[in-house]
Amino acid sequence: MIDNPLETALAKLTEIQRQAVGWGEGAMLALAGPGSGKTQVLTCRIARLLDEGRDQSFRVLALTFTNKAADEMKERVANFVPGLEERANIGTFHSFCGQVLRQHGIHLGIKPDFAIYSQDDDRKAVLEDALKRADMGADGMRYLGLIDRMKTLLIEPKDVVSRLTRAADAQAIAQAYEAYESELRRLNVLDFNSLIFEAFRLFSTFPAIAARYRRSYPYWLLDEFQDTNDGQYRLIRTMAGNDFKNVFAVADDDQIIYQWNGASFRQIQRFRADFQPELIQLPTNYRCPPAIVAAANRLVAYNVQRTETKKPLVAGKTDLKLPEQDHIQLRVFETDEIEAEEIAEEIAARGRDQWSQTTVLARTRASLEKMLKAFQAAQVPAVIAQRRDDFLSAEIRWMVACLVQTVRPLDRRNLAVLIDAFNRFADIQIAVGQVLSDAEASGSGYFSTWITAATGEIGASSPHARLLETAGRLDPASAKSVIDTMLTELDARASGDDPDPDLVEDLAAWREISSDIRRHFGSIISLDEFLQQLQLRSKAPSPQAHTVTLMTVHGAKGREFDFVYLIGLAEDILPSFQSRQKGDNSPEMEEERRNCFVAITRAKESLILSRANSYRGWTKQPSRFLVEMGLATPNS
Amino acid sequence: MRISRLTIENFRSIKALDLDLNETTVLIGPNNAGKTAILDAIRIVLTRRWGQRGTGFAEYDVHLADENADPKAPPGVSIEIRVEEQAAGEWPDALQQDLDEIVQTDPTTGKTFIILRASCAWNEAEGNFEPSWIFLNAGRAPLVGGSARRMNLERFWQYLPVFYLGALRDVDDEFSPRSQFWGRLLKAMEIPSALETKVQRVLDLLNRKLLQADPRLGQIAGTLSGATRVAARDRDGGVDLRLVPLKSWDLLSKAEIILRNEPDWPWLPLQRHGQGVQSLSVIFLFQAFVEHLLTELYEADSAPVLALEEPETHLHPQAARTLWSHINALPGQKIITTHSPYFVQHVPFRDLRLVRLTDNGTEVCSLPSSFSARIPHVADLDAVIAGSGGTMEYDRAAELLTVHGKLEQAPYRALLACYGTHADRAVIHGVLRDLHDRALLYISDDELRSLETFARRIRGEIFFARRWFIVEGQAEYLLVHAMARELGYDLDEHGVAVIDAQNNGNPAIFAALARALSIPWLAVFDGDGAGQGYCRSIEVRDFPPAFVAAHCRTHVADDIEAQMIADGLEVELRAALTQAGVAAATTADAAALLDLLRHHKTGYAAALVDMMRGNAALAGRMPQAFRDSIADLRGLT
Repeated sequence: MIDNPLETALAKLTEIQRQAVGWGEGAMLALAGPGSGKTQVLTCRIARLLDEGRDQSFRVLALTFTNKAADEMKERVANFVPGLEERANIGTFHSFCGQVLRQHGIHLGIKPDFAIYSQDDDRKAVLEDALKRADMGADGMRYLGLIDRMKTLLIEPKDVVSRLTRAADAQAIAQAYEAYESELRRLNVLDFNSLIFEAFRLFSTFPAIAARYRRSYPYWLLDEFQDTNDGQYRLIRTMAGNDFKNVFAVADDDQIIYQWNGASFRQIQRFRADFQPELIQLPTNYRCPPAIVAAANRLVAYNVQRTETKKPLVAGKTDLKLPEQDHIQLRVFETDEIEAEEIAEEIAARGRDQWSQTTVLARTRASLEKMLKAFQAAQVPAVIAQRRDDFLSAEIRWMVACLVQTVRPLDRRNLAVLIDAFNRFADIQIAVGQVLSDAEASGSGYFSTWITAATGEIGASSPHARLLETAGRLDPASAKSVIDTMLTELDARASGDDPDPDLVEDLAAWREISSDIRRHFGSIISLDEFLQQLQLRSKAPSPQAHTVTLMTVHGAKGREFDFVYLIGLAEDILPSFQSRQKGDNSPEMEEERRNCFVAITRAKESLILSRANSYRGWTKQPSRFLVEMGLATPNS
Repeated sequence: MRISRLTIENFRSIKALDLDLNETTVLIGPNNAGKTAILDAIRIVLTRRWGQRGTGFAEYDVHLADENADPKAPPGVSIEIRVEEQAAGEWPDALQQDLDEIVQTDPTTGKTFIILRASCAWNEAEGNFEPSWIFLNAGRAPLVGGSARRMNLERFWQYLPVFYLGALRDVDDEFSPRSQFWGRLLKAMEIPSALETKVQRVLDLLNRKLLQADPRLGQIAGTLSGATRVAARDRDGGVDLRLVPLKSWDLLSKAEIILRNEPDWPWLPLQRHGQGVQSLSVIFLFQAFVEHLLTELYEADSAPVLALEEPETHLHPQAARTLWSHINALPGQKIITTHSPYFVQHVPFRDLRLVRLTDNGTEVCSLPSSFSARIPHVADLDAVIAGSGGTMEYDRAAELLTVHGKLEQAPYRALLACYGTHADRAVIHGVLRDLHDRALLYISDDELRSLETFARRIRGEIFFARRWFIVEGQAEYLLVHAMARELGYDLDEHGVAVIDAQNNGNPAIFAALARALSIPWLAVFDGDGAGQGYCRSIEVRDFPPAFVAAHCRTHVADDIEAQMIADGLEVELRAALTQAGVAAATTADAAALLDLLRHHKTGYAAALVDMMRGNAALAGRMPQAFRDSIADLRGLT
């Protein structure tokens, strides 16, 4: 009997999971609690659809919120149905919208080879130029955040004034927004929010194009649907039109923690109203020990904004490594300083073999910084995990800019990045303006003009001469071998006596990202496509072995660890001061509760909660969540 | 799925060419005009053979403007096809899903289309001509990312396989076991394994019996086995004599077509039949291939593109004439070149493409029903399009304005007004003027239909002519041929087609047809009201009066007979009538003579033609309008 991975996986599903995987036509909302195997359900479902439609050509669309989730799903699907994975389009909302716009954006005047600006510096520069071009004052710079907000809410520049009735400077905001948008268009650039907005605009203006996606993708799957914001929901809604219902959404209304980004229980309600989905519940938790499951149930029962019929989690984990008393523990310290020190000491004492399976979660980044210091004092390697939009070292930034320049030879903004980065590590001073005017005078390309200028500047004996000479050979076809040569050169620098830690990290990140991309898009991926993928991904490397990961609760979404430490369980910390201001029954307070819910359900073996009696010198009461979980008695 | 538009730049004799293709498209034109270049362009864009070292693209394939031009200079060759639905939703879902990454959607019509461009330019670094294929978006910009993956190209080609049948169709090649259709058909045949085993047994038995039939056969085998001993291997090999095929495939691969023309005639192999039958059989072999094997080798929704050269090769005119309906019925899209007026006789006008070589390279004329021009979008344009009642369309992504039929004055002025204050006003107005002028060439479906009915007899040959001479009737037809010959300008020799317009519709349509097809023409009409009326009917079709005056002559007298009498040819005319058996001709008075002539037009004309033979003097006395026109035909462009 040949081992068929899909059949094996299907056989292992529970009855209710199998029901979700086998769901046919029509909308379905699967309420899946933490650790309920939703990724397995999603991937099995995709694989099943493809497997049963072997002789057909339809494609399956699956949208996630992170590249990591998308990569993992792709990997599993490829494993289940080798050869058919190509018909599964699994990606983030943003990458899918990018695809749509590259193929059909021309109807909105968007050229296929647009660049994506994900970094604030880039976007600030765009707004700055836009304001200059529109003869507007530099004080318009403060509108960038507002512009982002407008775009997330899919508000057109022309509608700004009518939407911002209370803002005195609505007119000025509208103008700045308008100028920003036309500058993006002029540069052939989209920012992250444009991706969703423009795709929405495309589908709503030209229903025939939305219809084309319904035809090619008769089945859609939405991961982490509870994180969908208004814009993303409307995108889906528009793409579906009035009659398309084959949307399979997996959500947990107890894990909505992106309210600040527009995620809201409302989206789930809208989905239920618009698509009339069949409701299915996957309450069994296979991740956490029963004590944690019970605490989570007790906690979340205090929330009102959730599906009424939602079933409590059921503990389904059978192989427990630790005795019951270790499953949930509470530590109380005098001050936040002591809390950090003691937790660090405790983890240090666990021994290095457990560090990589240990995480410390906190509500805010500031608390993590404090933890990081404590770990340094305890000589435990630790790292704060977070999305990194750009590489840290000038060398790798320069290398990426070189690649971008070969794909978009006329990109002046990228040329500036390229020149600046090289100036920095080669310690020379080449002016961008000079390269531009030299190129125009000689009629040769920007890149080759710069190579000539830089080669002259550093001199033949420079340690950077080899790097420059290698860069001179760059063209889209030779990129792979040129990058390899560059990496070899940079590796040598990173292995010296006193290596630049940024470069070391970047090299690790580069290797990881490029191997991820090649694994999921094939090794013959074009340079252009490679750079698009690179753009969308975080440039932080995975933590090294024997390193403790520190994360905010938001960053921990979708992750799991054997040992989870959640610190700062005190009023004004978790729940936050702001949420308490809003009131005990406010949506903000409910979101804080969900934050706590998400945090504790990350633990596979042991959850250690901690609080201090004072934070920054202020006395703080134990968190109400401790009480609600049944781990503390109400303070009199 | 079929190619609706072909755009070629800098390829062989073609500098720039835009060509609409129909379900069946027939290319006609002189040798070396560029017909094969067009077929090759289609094959190149739809196959990968091009550009492979040694076998593919060469510097000779780059269009050279003059003898000093450098083939390695940019921009190189570009060949673009647009494959579009005829109606939204025409293409099956499976096909659309499969090609999802490369399809484009027209947001207004909802029609799906795909644009593929093959280009080839000199690559300095590689030292050769580098071909590349890329799909384009609706604005004809290259698609990037996933759409540009090689896989999409392979997949697209699966759906649109191209087959080529050259003018020289060699039956020995086409019916060989390795040929494109026959070989693949034979290989695809499924023989049940039980039968296969049985065949094997029979073959072995047969072989043994044959070997036993003459002992010398066995001795020969023995002698030959010496070869294996000389080869000095450790173990002895063996030699056996095989008199019948070894395997059932060998048997099958020897399959051949035999046929007989009449029931009781002997069966003969195809190779023993005439060239015409051989050539024709290859075309039908293609049909068999498509019907039995195409979906198996390609996709269920694949549609073949057949590039077919001179299907009429070696065929009798009668056969060539009926061939059209067979070819037209072949599955898939057909692009055909032909030199046969008989074949062309039944080809619909809209399917014809006249290919010719000009100073500007290969150019193609046709009778399109719509005309397009690239102009930028402005807001005002939308209202003009919306108010055109469907006679105008604007593809905003491609910035392409399309006019169905003629561009009338009112909408034309409205279009001009849209760009009244545009920065590029002068250029855009020029483009619109050109569009307006081109749309004047429009000939309506009704008129073409009437031509199909009336002009079938002559339409074969007139499309192969270099110049047209339009006259009224058959008498003129006969006379001008004879006159021209005697005046030293043989019309047949110089590719002049004489069109007796009265019998084939009306002169104005032919004038319009000639203009649309860029065929130089002249006309001579009677001096009476009808003749003047023809001139006016031509003018009405937007010919400038001066042009009409220069191209249409009329006799001074009412008609040709009156004119000839006025020209002092009475004696010759009486003789001609007499010769034609009209006895009364010798005695008739002037009025009666005219009457007789008018009643026996072809009779006297034929006799007059006889009298003119070898008599240049007589030809020189014929009506001046004819003589002047014949003189003008020389070098007319």
